[in-house]
Amino acid sequence: MARDKIYLEEVFPSPFMQLWQIFRKTPVAMAGFSCFIFLVILAIFAPILAPHSPIDGQLDMLLLPPAWHVDGNISYLLGTDELGRDMLSRLMYGTSLTFGLSFIVVVISLIVGVVIGSLSALTSGIKSSFLNHFLDVILSIPSLLLAIIIVAILGPSISNTVWAVVMVLIPQFVHITRYAVKEESRKDYVLASRLDGASPFRILYYSIFPNIVDRIMSQATLAQSAAILDIATLGFLGLGAQIPLPEWGAILANGLDLFYIAPWTVYLPGLAILFAVVATNLVGEGIRHALKLRKER
Amino acid sequence: MLVFALRRLNLFIFTMLLLTLLSFSLSFLFPGDAIINISGAINATPSELVEIQKSYQTDRNIFWQYSAYLRHIVNGDLGLSMASQSKISSEVLNLLPATIELSLVALLIAMFVGIPLGFIAAIKHNKPADNIILSVSMLGYSIPIFWLGLLAILTFSINLGWLPSAGQISLLFEIKLVTGIKFIDILLSDSPYKWQAFADASAHIILPACVIAVAPATIFVRLARTSMIEVLETSYIRAARAKGLSFQQIIFRHAIRNALIKIIRHVGLQFANLVTIAMVTEVIFSWPGIGRWLIESIYQRDFTAIHSGLLVLACFIFVVHILTDFIYAALNPLARGNKYGS
Repeated sequence: MARDKIYLEEVFPSPFMQLWQIFRKTPVAMAGFSCFIFLVILAIFAPILAPHSPIDGQLDMLLLPPAWHVDGNISYLLGTDELGRDMLSRLMYGTSLTFGLSFIVVVISLIVGVVIGSLSALTSGIKSSFLNHFLDVILSIPSLLLAIIIVAILGPSISNTVWAVVMVLIPQFVHITRYAVKEESRKDYVLASRLDGASPFRILYYSIFPNIVDRIMSQATLAQSAAILDIATLGFLGLGAQIPLPEWGAILANGLDLFYIAPWTVYLPGLAILFAVVATNLVGEGIRHALKLRKER
Repeated sequence: MLVFALRRLNLFIFTMLLLTLLSFSLSFLFPGDAIINISGAINATPSELVEIQKSYQTDRNIFWQYSAYLRHIVNGDLGLSMASQSKISSEVLNLLPATIELSLVALLIAMFVGIPLGFIAAIKHNKPADNIILSVSMLGYSIPIFWLGLLAILTFSINLGWLPSAGQISLLFEIKLVTGIKFIDILLSDSPYKWQAFADASAHIILPACVIAVAPATIFVRLARTSMIEVLETSYIRAARAKGLSFQQIIFRHAIRNALIKIIRHVGLQFANLVTIAMVTEVIFSWPGIGRWLIESIYQRDFTAIHSGLLVLACFIFVVHILTDFIYAALNPLARGNKYGS
């Protein structure tokens, strides 16, 4: 049975939905968002979509230039590297390593950071002050330096890189959540629900979180672009993904010796990293722009 | 001002304690024996080892061990490098000035390029010039630094042949090491080829410094833009306009000064970012600085060098941070605390 709406009901969209409605009207942000979705799909379905294996090489197809070049071969669209591995397939698999892993990294550190941040916002006094100073110290050390140190302790490998970047990103989320929760809990609507007798956790979950989700999302895009760059840089320095893995930074480092003979082995992974970071930053800019517009309303 | 200075000093001591604690605990986290990680004496005979253990007080509890470690650091003893068995403190003293030189030049370039561009963007707010500057700046901080460095080497050193691609100065010049900062050393030296050496050193620093400067410059563009927009909306600017000052007079006499103060506050934070970028750039351009040394010691699994290098770099960043805080407070009376009536 259909349930027609008889009464004119006024709907208030949640803060997140309000944000989305402004966000979808900004064409540049939507372009960035579609690139982001494209990368996510590529990261998940790379093994199905990739035309060749990223690790096995064709020994009769060494250093083939991209297809638009005179010597190019159309079945190797972006050319091959010095072991005859198809660049396109390597870059596609690399999406799931560089971009996909950075996405996972951000999700893990977001969850941990938000939990610690909101718990610390509820505490006060010496514990809180200590945490504050501690975070200041951690935040004053550059993220890449910290990641390098953690990798040095754990030893170079892709999984250790992931843990290192997670640990580096957590303090930023703690900081922003703590700040946002403290700022929100001074507002009147939180006071109202406190006067209604809501427990701190209930206030946090039902009143504060819906109102700070957007700020955390904006921080998440910043963290994502930092994570992509950090994972790629560690891969480039040889401290992240190890040899056969098609991580973008590692592919780039691998092409270094052949820079002058086969420049595409260096140009292409660099462009891939640039594309992923620009897409992420466009989404972030879109969110921040929407946040500003919503405040001005 | 005194209270402000004391509070900063307090923060400085607290941070140094935390940093040394971190670096002290690293020696336990690294694989291998903690006492060897901390002192770097891998080839020590048993009797020497006993001596080292005594000086680091390993027989007493962890608190005494930490205070012994602190005493060593205060005396300037950071242990021996595991790879080369030379003193880390002297290696650091040789390498750190090169990094300071590179990062300061990069910071200056970033500020001189980024801040005016940001001001232009703010004055032309919501016009094409603003949009172009903003999009270029976004491209600037999205670009992976190692890729940019390689492209710069390919274009300017190899294809065009304008600038050298590696090192701090051509090996033909013999410059005695005094301060470690190449430019000062060259000016102090009495070589007849002083000015050629100076020109050569400047040619060597341009490319890496510009590559490092790209990302911080884009951040400065954004900082300068937001602070200028804020300043232009304040009531004292409106009052100046009501007085009949021309737009140029308003910008140069009132707006730029007030906007600059807000930016100086962020320089310290940006510096940390800049030093990280400098580390990677040093590797690409073979710059003999502490960043390259640190990354090489990771390859060699030289744990003593790693944890001392971390300590030194973090100290350096934090000192710059505090210094910019002081400069900011000296320039801006509002920041010295005690805001009466606000």
